[in-house]
Amino acid sequence: MTAAQILLAALLTPLLSAVLIACFLRRRGTLASYLSVAAAAGICAFSYLAIQATNGSTIRAAIEWLSFGNFTVSMGFLFDGVSATMLTMVAFVGLLIHVFSLGYMADDKAKGRFFGGLSIFMFSMLGIILADNLIMIFVFWELVGFSSYMLIGHYLDTDEAAAASKKAFIVNRIGDLGFLIGIVYAYWHFGTTNLEAMGAAVNADSSLISWAIAALLMCGFIGKSAQFPLHVWLPDAMAGPTPVSALIHAATMVAAGVYFLIRIAFLFPESVLGGIAILGTSVAVYAGFCAYGQNDIKKILAYSTLSQLGYMSAAFGLGYPGIALFHLITHAFFKALLFLGAGSIIHGCHHEQDILKMGGILKKMPITSITFFIGVLALCGVYGFAGFYSKDAILVAGGLDSTAIFALLTLGAFLTAGYMGRLVWIVFFGEPKSDAAAHAHESGFSMVLPLIILAVLSVVGGWIGVWPEATGEIIRDNLEHLHHAEGHDEMHSKVMILGSAAWIVGLLGSLFFYGVGKNGDALQNRSKPVYEFLKARLWFDEIYGFYVAKIQQRVAVLLSFLDVFLIKGLFVRGSAGLVGLVGACSRSLHVGNIHGYVYWFLAGIILLWALASGVAL
Amino acid sequence: MTVGLNAFLIVAGLLFAVGLLGVTLRQNTLVIYMSLELMLNAVNLAFVAFSRYNGTMDGNLFVFFIITVAAAEVALGLAIIVALFRRRQSVMVDKLNALSH
Amino acid sequence: MLDILFYVFSAITLIAAVLMVLTPNAVNGAMCMIVAFIGTAALFVLLEAYFLAVIQVVVYAGAVMVLFLFIIMLLDVDKGEGGATEYKDKLTIGASAIGFLLLVMLVFSAFSGAHLPEPGLTAVTENPEVFNGGVPFTTSSKSFGYSLFTKYMLPFQVAGFLLLAAMIGVIVVSKKHDIAED
Repeated sequence: MTAAQILLAALLTPLLSAVLIACFLRRRGTLASYLSVAAAAGICAFSYLAIQATNGSTIRAAIEWLSFGNFTVSMGFLFDGVSATMLTMVAFVGLLIHVFSLGYMADDKAKGRFFGGLSIFMFSMLGIILADNLIMIFVFWELVGFSSYMLIGHYLDTDEAAAASKKAFIVNRIGDLGFLIGIVYAYWHFGTTNLEAMGAAVNADSSLISWAIAALLMCGFIGKSAQFPLHVWLPDAMAGPTPVSALIHAATMVAAGVYFLIRIAFLFPESVLGGIAILGTSVAVYAGFCAYGQNDIKKILAYSTLSQLGYMSAAFGLGYPGIALFHLITHAFFKALLFLGAGSIIHGCHHEQDILKMGGILKKMPITSITFFIGVLALCGVYGFAGFYSKDAILVAGGLDSTAIFALLTLGAFLTAGYMGRLVWIVFFGEPKSDAAAHAHESGFSMVLPLIILAVLSVVGGWIGVWPEATGEIIRDNLEHLHHAEGHDEMHSKVMILGSAAWIVGLLGSLFFYGVGKNGDALQNRSKPVYEFLKARLWFDEIYGFYVAKIQQRVAVLLSFLDVFLIKGLFVRGSAGLVGLVGACSRSLHVGNIHGYVYWFLAGIILLWALASGVAL
Repeated sequence: MTVGLNAFLIVAGLLFAVGLLGVTLRQNTLVIYMSLELMLNAVNLAFVAFSRYNGTMDGNLFVFFIITVAAAEVALGLAIIVALFRRRQSVMVDKLNALSH
Repeated sequence: MLDILFYVFSAITLIAAVLMVLTPNAVNGAMCMIVAFIGTAALFVLLEAYFLAVIQVVVYAGAVMVLFLFIIMLLDVDKGEGGATEYKDKLTIGASAIGFLLLVMLVFSAFSGAHLPEPGLTAVTENPEVFNGGVPFTTSSKSFGYSLFTKYMLPFQVAGFLLLAAMIGVIVVSKKHDIAED
């Protein structure tokens, strides 16, 4: 089989699984779960085969899908080093999360629907990874949004989940509006939406780079990867089941935005890149602060994800897309680990999610705790773990660019260590604070195995030298470039010192401040205003809510009124009414009403008079 | 006489309009018919005025014929109304109407 | 003097016509109609069409309206029907329709440029000229009969036939049919 056929098989396997589940296996949850896991394994196998088959070269394959005159939309694959890297990560992490879900969702009543959703999500994500033109990316982008909507709203009977899924979808849609306009503009500007063709055009003539196209396409990224100002959906999306949070909102879907940026990196002029860097840095710091005001374990991890996404976009904005990809991959490993660990804890504590009600988990669930610690260390950038290498590179790049960005990113590192430390000390140590935590027990094998594997990856994943040949080429390039940048070495040592200081100070500081196993949140107890301010998260949700309820709703009501009155009333009903009126008038000719005849006579006379005097016609 | 052609024509026009009003307003067939005669009468007046203004006899002669035809028409019309009355026992237009609407 | 007569008789005619249209009683209407015809005859006299004035009174007011009265009384229409209340709203509709028609006509004639000049009526006793190829205007019945039997002979004969046909038609239409017959 050629590489293209293998890739096609990889793409269609989850689709097949989803279709089978949707048609036949809705009621047979267990069977559906096995099918979905098999599909995920299939994706892994096919990806491995595909990478073997390509031998490091790029694969292109396309078929024509729609054609209107000169304009054709094709569906095709562009499989180069970047997509190979991403594909490996998505397939592998996806498989691990599927396996985890077997245990986590074992007693869920709607397992079939859940696994169907996971399969359709894998299909959509693979589509984004493999796509070769903007329109195909957009199609799968929307599919991913739909899968996210479906999966976030999995718990049908809670209002919270329904509201969160709606919010996620709508906020994404807002970003996608800019995306769509960007695609149209790009087509108009370049004459094609094919990524390679655009890249070639830009390489040949760099004046074709337009900041407007870049900014518009960036809107999609802002929506999908939860940057300012469209970040509000990500914390709420934690209402979905934990495997969903791990897969979609930590490792893959939110990373799709960054991946997309990397794919179109050639379209970005300096000005827009600078903007992205600032955007990313601000989100990194903002989310870091917000995490201190949260008590739900998943929400803390969500804000951590937001923060790390900010790092990724900062890396991209500083001109190193490869480093952004690097951080994306390592982040996928340790964030998935953290989320799955959280899931394991939640499952063990019988769906208790408030950290202030947990405690002493270390004794009750040792394997989960150890792997969780490894994930925390990776996240904080401890030397040797996966997160260190990527974060280090980002900090160096930031330092070489501007002091402000460097300072803020380092602050972010301090904050990260701080809130993760807070999480760790409160959850894992001390006495259990509630019955549920007291009766926690270690999770089953299907849940623990992925944790262990991901823990290993969180350590090993950063050693870029160990990565397979076909993957990570762009990462190596960027790292090389960074190493040879001016002032790299002194900056590197500065970062080493500050980075180590960050995690040491953060972890120990949180230990002293929050204490081990104390009752209640120390910040809340000691200075309530600060805690409340952090919890308010700069009132973004409130502002948006106000805008939607007061302003947008009024505009919508006005437009609806116009629609009903003008279009429905005047034009549609009016034209129909006009016809009816003409009909009624004409009918008066035939009903035997003498007076009607007289009026028609009069009308005829007027017409003849007009004709005769030459006024009309 | 200083009254000009226009005055006569205005009177004729007003008579015609009143007749038209009668035709469209009244329900009684006989009154409608009388209004019709009024309209014919107005036309007669206009004809005679034009004839006098133009200095020819043709207008007058035409009025002669109009009167003749109008008389014949009235006779026949009234006979029809009588026959209708015998059928429907009414001369009101709305009750005479056999078509449903 | 003649002007005043014109205004008086015009007023009589118009008022009688309006009364005829508005009165609920058909017999009253017929009476008003007779007055209107007589007023018109007076206007004919003012226009020096003496023969026609007499014909108007004899035929129209005398024969036609009397026939109307016969039929109205024969059919014995109730007084209550067609009262003023019945068509109060229709009055507005009708009046506005007619008024609109008049306005339209006025506007059309104003814009089409066909203005009627303001002539006076010239005295006829001077030597009349043949005008526009038509028969010259005189006030005597002699010229009336003259043109009737020469230029308009054919229409005269046709009118005769028309009257015959009308007479036969009236007899046929008003014949009583027994319902039990055939």
